[in-house]
Amino acid sequence: MSRRHKYILDLSDLQYKLVRLPWKIKLLRISLWFAASIIIALFYGTVFEKYFGSPKERILNQQIENMKLQYALLGREMDNSVAALNSYRLSDDRRYRPILNMDSVPDSYRKAGFGGVDRFRDLAGYNNSGILITSRTKIEEIKNMVKVQNESYKTIEEIAVEWKREIDHFPGISPVSVEFRLGDGYKFRAIHPVLGTPRMHNGQDFEVPYGTEVYSTGDGKVVESGWNSGGFGNCVVIDHGYGFQTVYGHLSNIRVPKGMNVKRGDLIGISGSSGLSSGPHLHYQVEKSGQHMNPINFFNNDMSFDEYRDMIQAFESKSKLR
Amino acid sequence: MPNTKYKFNPDSLSFDKVRLGIRALLFRFLVYFTGSILVALIYWIIFASFFDSPKEKALKREVEQMTIQYNLIHREMASIENVLDDLQKTDDNLYRTIFEAEPIPSTLREGGTGGVNRYESLEGYTNSRLVIETAKRLDAIRKKVYIQSKSFDDLISLASRKGEMLRSIPAILPISNKDLTRTASGFGRRIHPIYKIIKFHYGMDFTAPAGTDVYATGDGTIVAVNSAQRGLGKHIIIDHGFGYTSTYAHLSNFNDARVGKKVKRGDIIGYVGNTGTSVANHLHYEIKLNGINVDPVNYYFEDLSAAEYVRMIEIASKTGQSFD
Repeated sequence: MSRRHKYILDLSDLQYKLVRLPWKIKLLRISLWFAASIIIALFYGTVFEKYFGSPKERILNQQIENMKLQYALLGREMDNSVAALNSYRLSDDRRYRPILNMDSVPDSYRKAGFGGVDRFRDLAGYNNSGILITSRTKIEEIKNMVKVQNESYKTIEEIAVEWKREIDHFPGISPVSVEFRLGDGYKFRAIHPVLGTPRMHNGQDFEVPYGTEVYSTGDGKVVESGWNSGGFGNCVVIDHGYGFQTVYGHLSNIRVPKGMNVKRGDLIGISGSSGLSSGPHLHYQVEKSGQHMNPINFFNNDMSFDEYRDMIQAFESKSKLR
Repeated sequence: MPNTKYKFNPDSLSFDKVRLGIRALLFRFLVYFTGSILVALIYWIIFASFFDSPKEKALKREVEQMTIQYNLIHREMASIENVLDDLQKTDDNLYRTIFEAEPIPSTLREGGTGGVNRYESLEGYTNSRLVIETAKRLDAIRKKVYIQSKSFDDLISLASRKGEMLRSIPAILPISNKDLTRTASGFGRRIHPIYKIIKFHYGMDFTAPAGTDVYATGDGTIVAVNSAQRGLGKHIIIDHGFGYTSTYAHLSNFNDARVGKKVKRGDIIGYVGNTGTSVANHLHYEIKLNGINVDPVNYYFEDLSAAEYVRMIEIASKTGQSFD
């Protein structure tokens, strides 16, 4: 008999009897105890959660905080991108397009593409929906800005190349060194020096001695090279495109064959007095869309002899490189 | 008492009533309490490993969604940054093509400070910080000295003039250029767009669309309104008195400008164009003092703050191409 056994005094026979519980009652007791324990556990849980929150929740909340930080970092990156894009836009609007004589990209086109927040309806209903939707919207905005800027730059690039090409093709310099005096200009001549009759002078004469180098005044293609029966003698005609043609007459020597592409500053011939000419000079003529223009308007007298020489040398060295 | 329990005492061989002292009761209570907590803990562990509370579920969903979206945005951002790099290259190229100059850092172009690390080459040494700090300070001083020397003489002479003189001297930008983005090419040696050699550029170029208003920069009298085919093209010259004249060139049109007309500072005298020897729409602006060309950058003091002035000098001093 152990100390742990409990007895009960049976009053009917006044005997101490060992307390024995039947298994049914034992089972009942256990389930009661179990039920009670669950209730107590629930009670504990409620109290604990009320004051501390569940550890799992805390971990999840921590994760959300981390995500928020990541989003903030992303946001900063996005802001940087927007700043960069805005600077491109300014360059685009204020620099490149005015120079290239292009209209700026309309705001409606730049802003096109984002119709509203509705696209991200599936992101609604979270505690941090705001962050998610803002970030996604911003990204879409940036993507659109990038797309527009990219397209715009592509157009600008093409036009810029064309712009440069046009500048290079424009007959914009004097065909001979600026050290020489100008002869007769673009005017009606009462007496032609050879024919002796009144005649329109459609070009500009340069008083140059025999053997002076004559340069192409812009990029272009030689469309005529050889004897001109109309009076220009040995003559070169260059088509510069954009409607411009230039004529160099009375040469003693021609250095470029018909069909050759020339650059501004290329040596095309040597001056002389061939054709209808009373003395050595260069006759220079500029035509735009078939109309004679006054060549004097196609070069400035803003260069020194040295500058002209430097310019021709610069063009020459460029030509050798190509 | 049928419920009274007894315990057999083997020492006295008698049955003793089971009686619990306060201590034992307390002890029991403690045991029960600890037990209950332990049991509750076990329940919680079992429950938590199989089920989430609704709150937790929501949080989990949130974390998941945030992660998905983050990854998505992050990927997008990476590709955007690639494209932005390309855009930067294109921008630099365009700048090189159009201005024949090394691109100005965008921070300078569009305002703001910092950006490019000019002192990178000095990094990585034990005393790097000291060296860099010193270099920075030297740079700053050099810049200050440069600006000072440029403007000091002008300032002294200006300070002694008053009243009408201050109204007459050119002192504003000839076109609206609030963020300075229209500043293209300054006074000094520049590549000529057609000759492709370096020539002295006697004025300042402002790029602007055709038709942009051009303002008289000080009170004065119009002394020339010319429509030249070459050179300055359509241009206006204003005599401000006190030795100053200003020239506005390559205009597309005049705004009621005739020789002898008196103009006030800010009057619209014409519109930006591309006439004469010019390769793009722009305004060429010159100031002459006693017949000698001076750098217009020092004559915007009514319009520019000190910081803007410094930025203007830096933009305009970059060697590049002029447009005439």
